[in-house]
Amino acid sequence: MFAMNRNLLRRAPSSTTVAVALGVAATVLAPCLAAPPKAAKKAQSQQQRQRAGLPAAVTADPPSTIMEVAAVDRSGRSAVHQAAAKIDSLLASSWKEHGVEASVPLKDEQFLRRIYLDLGGRIPTYEEATRFLASKAETKRADLIDNLLESPDYVSHFYNYWADILRLLERPQKTLFFEPYLWYVKDSIRTNKPFDGWAHEMLTADGRVWDNPAVGFQLRDAGMPLPYVDNTVRVLLGTQIGCAQCHDHPFDDWTQHQFYELAAFTSGTQMRGRGKNKNMMSRQMGQAGARELIQEAKQKLDRPTAFVQFVAANTTAVSFAEAPLKLPHDYQYEDAEPLAVVSPKVLWGEIPSGARDADGREQFASWVISRDNRQFARTIANRMWKKVMGVGLVEPVDDFQPGNPPSNPELLEHLTDEMLRLDFDLREFVRILVSTGTYQRRAVVYDPASGTPFRFTGPALRRMTAEQIWDSILTLVAHNAWAVQRPTAAEVAAAVNLDLANPSFDAAYGMFERFAKEYTPPRRMRELQQTVGYRGQLLVRASEMPAPLPLGHFLRQFGQSDRETIEGARTVATVPQILTMFNGQITHSMLEKGSVIYDTVVAHTPQEAIDVIFLSVLSHKPSGEDRKLARDEIMTADTPAAGYGNLIWALLNTREFIFIQ
Amino acid sequence: MIGTMGISSVDRLLSRRALCGHLARTALGVTVLDTLVGSAVGRAAPAVPVGDVSVIFLMMRGAMSHLDTFDPKPGREEQGETKAIQTKTPGVLFGEHVPKLAGMSDRLAVIRAMTTETGAHEQGTYLMRTSYSQLNSIVHPSMGSWTLHVQGKRSRDLPGYVLVGNGNEHPGAGFLDASLTPVPVADPKLGLENTTHPAYLSEKQFRRRLVLADRIDRDFKQLYGGPHIAAYDQMYKDATRLLGSVDLESFDISKEPEAIRSRYGDTTFGQGCLLARRLVEAGVRCVEVELGKWDMHQDIFEALPDNVGTLDTGMAALLDDLAERGLLKNTLVVLATEFGRTPEINKNAGRDHHPAVFSCVLAGAGIKGGVVHGASDERGFHPDRDGVTVADFNTTIAVAAGLPHQKEFSAPNGRPFKIGGGGSPIANVLA
Repeated sequence: MFAMNRNLLRRAPSSTTVAVALGVAATVLAPCLAAPPKAAKKAQSQQQRQRAGLPAAVTADPPSTIMEVAAVDRSGRSAVHQAAAKIDSLLASSWKEHGVEASVPLKDEQFLRRIYLDLGGRIPTYEEATRFLASKAETKRADLIDNLLESPDYVSHFYNYWADILRLLERPQKTLFFEPYLWYVKDSIRTNKPFDGWAHEMLTADGRVWDNPAVGFQLRDAGMPLPYVDNTVRVLLGTQIGCAQCHDHPFDDWTQHQFYELAAFTSGTQMRGRGKNKNMMSRQMGQAGARELIQEAKQKLDRPTAFVQFVAANTTAVSFAEAPLKLPHDYQYEDAEPLAVVSPKVLWGEIPSGARDADGREQFASWVISRDNRQFARTIANRMWKKVMGVGLVEPVDDFQPGNPPSNPELLEHLTDEMLRLDFDLREFVRILVSTGTYQRRAVVYDPASGTPFRFTGPALRRMTAEQIWDSILTLVAHNAWAVQRPTAAEVAAAVNLDLANPSFDAAYGMFERFAKEYTPPRRMRELQQTVGYRGQLLVRASEMPAPLPLGHFLRQFGQSDRETIEGARTVATVPQILTMFNGQITHSMLEKGSVIYDTVVAHTPQEAIDVIFLSVLSHKPSGEDRKLARDEIMTADTPAAGYGNLIWALLNTREFIFIQ
Repeated sequence: MIGTMGISSVDRLLSRRALCGHLARTALGVTVLDTLVGSAVGRAAPAVPVGDVSVIFLMMRGAMSHLDTFDPKPGREEQGETKAIQTKTPGVLFGEHVPKLAGMSDRLAVIRAMTTETGAHEQGTYLMRTSYSQLNSIVHPSMGSWTLHVQGKRSRDLPGYVLVGNGNEHPGAGFLDASLTPVPVADPKLGLENTTHPAYLSEKQFRRRLVLADRIDRDFKQLYGGPHIAAYDQMYKDATRLLGSVDLESFDISKEPEAIRSRYGDTTFGQGCLLARRLVEAGVRCVEVELGKWDMHQDIFEALPDNVGTLDTGMAALLDDLAERGLLKNTLVVLATEFGRTPEINKNAGRDHHPAVFSCVLAGAGIKGGVVHGASDERGFHPDRDGVTVADFNTTIAVAAGLPHQKEFSAPNGRPFKIGGGGSPIANVLA
């Protein structure tokens, strides 16, 4: 303990304020000496990390440009407000019809916190909060909305949103290296790619994942062509036809025959140089070169598996050549014979005229995203509505069916029209929704188990997502939360792309070793510890973290998806979450010297400190009573510094912190 | 550098548990001390009354292939590379990768004609855990939460229901009270983490922090009180109570002798089975341990030996250990999965989803061993006789665990529910 204090003192600047506040550090940061036995082996290396405190990359100033985000058109503001007013008027008549009262309008500090969380995925910093609250500008809410929509925070937050829907993993299968696809999703949000075009790109992409990262969508279900169709229809058309894969849907209209008719469009999607176009593909993909390398590896290496997978990843590519789809051999219905070839047919509507001569996969994609296929626009409009308001007009968002009607059909059709009018500009759509008077009302407590539909008299009260909690805590800790970003497709390509036309085992093996060091998930995790590690935690934005994270990670504890099921994230309360909030490393990171909140408190007078802490953690000043409670705590604690620590800890452990009001 | 050395050695010495371990190895001898520690914990645990059944539910998530485990079809093309082996029960064959369980088939009731409608993982696991199909408006409680609802917790501080290695999709307490929510343990080797306050934080200071948080939170809770906030209030209460409890030790499998630990296999699942035994011994009513990686659509015969071996070692050690400690007569062990895998081997050398027929296993409290109930057809495709639905299976569990399976309960929205889903218990496997 003594050595620890000396060490901290040596690192500290010598101003009086800091020396006093360092008392905080010495008291608050004393390491837990009673390390559990299982940690004993690792104690030494852990000690070294602990002594180092917050990593330099995290305490440094953030880079001036984190990423270039597509600009929001400020001139479009009056159109946004008109569109928002239309939505408000539709809701107002629904409230009247159902005899419910609108929730009260939000105060500035409540709006501030919610808009940061809903658009940026994190709470505002002390500085951001005071700046907004002090502003007298009439347009300050609209200004903040627009600023947030073109910030890296927006990209990060919406990446997390899509990662849950698209089941984004770095290694969904051993030969699928998905970093380029994950980057592509993030980049599509950064450039605000229109959603219809984005979907079309993913449904029809060809090639290897680092050459054309959009192929990741089709590769996610590689080797499972029928589940691929099920998942695609669920995600993009909000319809569950999965049951019909094995038998006629028990209560919907979908028959097994219809499922196969739809699947017939994409039958013929190849993931390797297999199938009809094998010879052409095989040449293109350098199958011969790959075979040579693999043979040599099996002779030269004791454990060739990882290397073989590395080579196989180089020959994994999506291509399409139509192939007939047959009914299963145990097909049990009378409308067709088992093993009969099925001709492709869409579930509703028709193939757009422009695509009728195209191949099956293109026909399917064109049908899905067609403006005439309102279900596509309706599904994404309902998803975005839920993203902003907390509850969908149809719930769950991927189960549109006659037995599950929307709670406000008129509003849903209006939002569908809006989505079409905006040409699938999702960000503009969200901009309108958060500009509504309804969004800017106090949150309403809603229990879906009550059996009554939600009337949207304000957004629903929600617990923060796991990523919002993580990124909010990070906001209190890291001056630079962007010290690491996920690798780009080009970076991965440079590290993985083998020259299979001129195969050389030594060159390939060298590349494999470098790639394994930098990109194999556990090794990458270890590598990242060097730059942004703090007591085993990586202090970077949730969006830039490896995926999936281990089950015990903070984000998984708070319900981040394992990315195996579509929208697998949960917000259920559990005991280990609370234990982590009490004693976890991440709670302690913010009490370290050099953390944002530490530095902010230290930069203010003791009289200001209580307000600073409240504004930093809860985004508002304390009430008179709370200020008195806080002052009493600081006066009676062993040192004022320990009192600050107790106050920060207490605010972090309120329901107000993790729920979005 | 001297500082580093100093700290780490002080750190090591000051750790009481590490100190014990050190002494055990040098002075007392591992076995002696470990036995002492083990029995001390045993004594501290509340006595579980005879007839008060605990349940250990082993969930094979991703769909376990029945042909390659408990229902082989030797000689058929569908069997693929997995050979069949003789079990202790005359005439009953298992797959070659469960030799240990085959050697104790006299303890097992194997149900070979499980059948369900859903071939999707999410819906299938939900049905298996809750006995009901997934609905849009309501989450059904899992069996463990029902058990707590009816029978209560055995211990004030220890949770009544623990999940080991489970993902998010577990329905938990569903529409029942948040206090019946299971406590998830991500990694059995680490146990329940973050249970030690930092050294500087006294118990008094910790309580003060809690009071402060509670008082500052008052206005917010008043405005937004409801089920979501109440659930968190409950978890704060449970976590605080647990922190001060001596029962925390039951989550620490490092307290087990090395000989016992290695018996269960050095896998997360195996160690999870050991944790389950430890928890049940200490008075936890229900434990679910999950083993994943069963979704073998590709190269199944490469993947099988490892995963089935993990299951075989873990489950066999669990049954032996429970039996040796006299706990098996009070503990029901369930091996379940959401559905089976296709007899037909696909073009990627894998097996796909197959809900029409699959196998589950029961052992321990209330169960007759050495029984095979029901049969699949010669290809392992459909039930041939005595088909068992998930509701029948779960109702059988309810009967063996002494739960009122015929009683009707109401959800908040007024719908009626029965524990086990209103199926018929399988008399043939009940002792």
